[in-house]
Amino acid sequence: MSAATTLRPPSRSPGRTAHAMAGRTKRTPRRVRGTTIPRGARKAVALSLLPGLVLFGTFFLVPFLVLVATAFARWGGLDFAWAGLDNYRRMLEDPVFFKALGNTLFYAAASVLIQVPLGVAVGMVLALRPRGWKALRTIIFVPFVISGAAYAVIFSMFYNPRSGLLNNVLGALGMPGDRDWLFDTATARWAVTGTFVFIIGFVVVLVMAEIASIPNELYEAASVDGASTRQQLTRITLPLLRNVIGTAILIRLLVDIGMFDLVFILTAGGPDDATATLALYAYRAYLGGEWGYANAVGSVIILIGLVLIVTVRRVFRIGERTL
Amino acid sequence: MNTATEVKTTRPAWAHLLIYGFLGAVALLALAPTAWVMLSSFKTGTQIFSGEGVWPAPFTVQGFIDVFTQIRLHEYLLNTLLYAGPGSLGALTAAFLAAYPLARYTFLGRNALVALFSLALALPLVGLATPVFFVVRELGMFDSRLGMVIFYSALQFPFTFVVLRAFLVSTPPELEEAAMIDGAGYFTTLFRVVLPLARPALATVAVVAFVNIWNEFFFANLLLISQENQNVQLALAGFKSQFGFNVTAAVTGATIVMLVPIVIFLILQRQVISGLTAGAVK
Repeated sequence: MSAATTLRPPSRSPGRTAHAMAGRTKRTPRRVRGTTIPRGARKAVALSLLPGLVLFGTFFLVPFLVLVATAFARWGGLDFAWAGLDNYRRMLEDPVFFKALGNTLFYAAASVLIQVPLGVAVGMVLALRPRGWKALRTIIFVPFVISGAAYAVIFSMFYNPRSGLLNNVLGALGMPGDRDWLFDTATARWAVTGTFVFIIGFVVVLVMAEIASIPNELYEAASVDGASTRQQLTRITLPLLRNVIGTAILIRLLVDIGMFDLVFILTAGGPDDATATLALYAYRAYLGGEWGYANAVGSVIILIGLVLIVTVRRVFRIGERTL
Repeated sequence: MNTATEVKTTRPAWAHLLIYGFLGAVALLALAPTAWVMLSSFKTGTQIFSGEGVWPAPFTVQGFIDVFTQIRLHEYLLNTLLYAGPGSLGALTAAFLAAYPLARYTFLGRNALVALFSLALALPLVGLATPVFFVVRELGMFDSRLGMVIFYSALQFPFTFVVLRAFLVSTPPELEEAAMIDGAGYFTTLFRVVLPLARPALATVAVVAFVNIWNEFFFANLLLISQENQNVQLALAGFKSQFGFNVTAAVTGATIVMLVPIVIFLILQRQVISGLTAGAVK
């Protein structure tokens, strides 16, 4: 079985749907040509756009404008007073904010350095189509459809100092098995990280779809020129995965910047804020009735998101698209 | 070394060992804690607290009774179904109606709209928590089932829009043009010609939107307060406090709640995977 054929998983349908969008056509800037609206259809088109515009306007645009305005105010829902940059000044003076920021970046780093590389490696290996690859892909993807809240329940049991699987396995192996992983400041952050870094199914699937769209001819030509399987992997496959790796990193980073569910349910940010995230920090301000401050923190979260989108797309030269 | 990596008709035994060892380890890390918790739903509370043994001994299905009689999980399940069903349908409808003109026609502000809708999919929306709460409350939609359905339609709108539009952009407009020339109006064309063609894409997107709403915790926590309106994810978070009271029932509840998207995924694997990848590479 040559590498050329092993690297090509069978096409899946509605593959055409996925392909048109997930394929590597995205490198070229795509301007949709389109025609002007036919005369008689103008009203209909406006009507057609209306529900989406109303939903978007009400639940995204208006909240966004409220966020931008009130980030510069003292606001508790009823009382309102402009406060200039006070909220941002306060943020810079609060060590807990920096702790939350640091933790959030820690989780993001874990995603980029552990989760994504692991996912890429597994995707590349599965693309070799070893026997049972389909079942393996399914198994590895399953955690991705499990909710953060469910994961929180799972891991609060898994890490339990007395009855948790982790400590019992460690104990059985003759290691000390009574650590309270989630509430020991030395391990808490790593324990939280351990809950999500192995959810790699998404990266795996993206990588496999990308490999499937690499033309066979490339490998055949390389084969003829005497390139080894390993050379084909490192010189052809990996560079062509640049785009999809960038996409995976970007998606993970955007998820991590807003990380909330897991931490909120698992540890509520403890012990001593060792696991708190920016989203949790903002949520606490919201609960405390300091909406202006919560929104200033929220604006930082969204700003980081925007910066990430721009930088990661640049770094990985993710093709110009509608976004 | 070089000969070993040379292209051959079969892989050597050590390569097999390496491949399966690696994949097995990853699968174990990804799924072992979940599988262990699911198994625990057949254990007695005593066994769960003792942490002894991976297999249930003695085996019990009491959790599956208690979870409905004591925790009343079916009420949460019903709520969630109500949010996820109509919610994804609402998102789908709004997105399909908006995706078509934004895929086919050029007009002032079109690119800006597409960019805005796509941005809403990418940005970390938790940053908008307080203003969303404020807007929802002002609209009288706080802690309301209908309000939640509308909100979830909005929350899933960017994703459904981006995928559907990309799909429509990739399909040729000839059929619709022919229909229009034959005198069919805009909506007739949209529902009689485009809708049937877009069915696979619609199904894909619907499945993913449904699972997304099923799994949603953050905004449910923000926008719902009465127990009678809560979804399963809020119930799950509450289970942690039930651990001391009836741990088997709590674990069973968690298992049932996770099994819904897992079963959907196992049955509709293609839809889920292609929907997610399509949404990713917007």
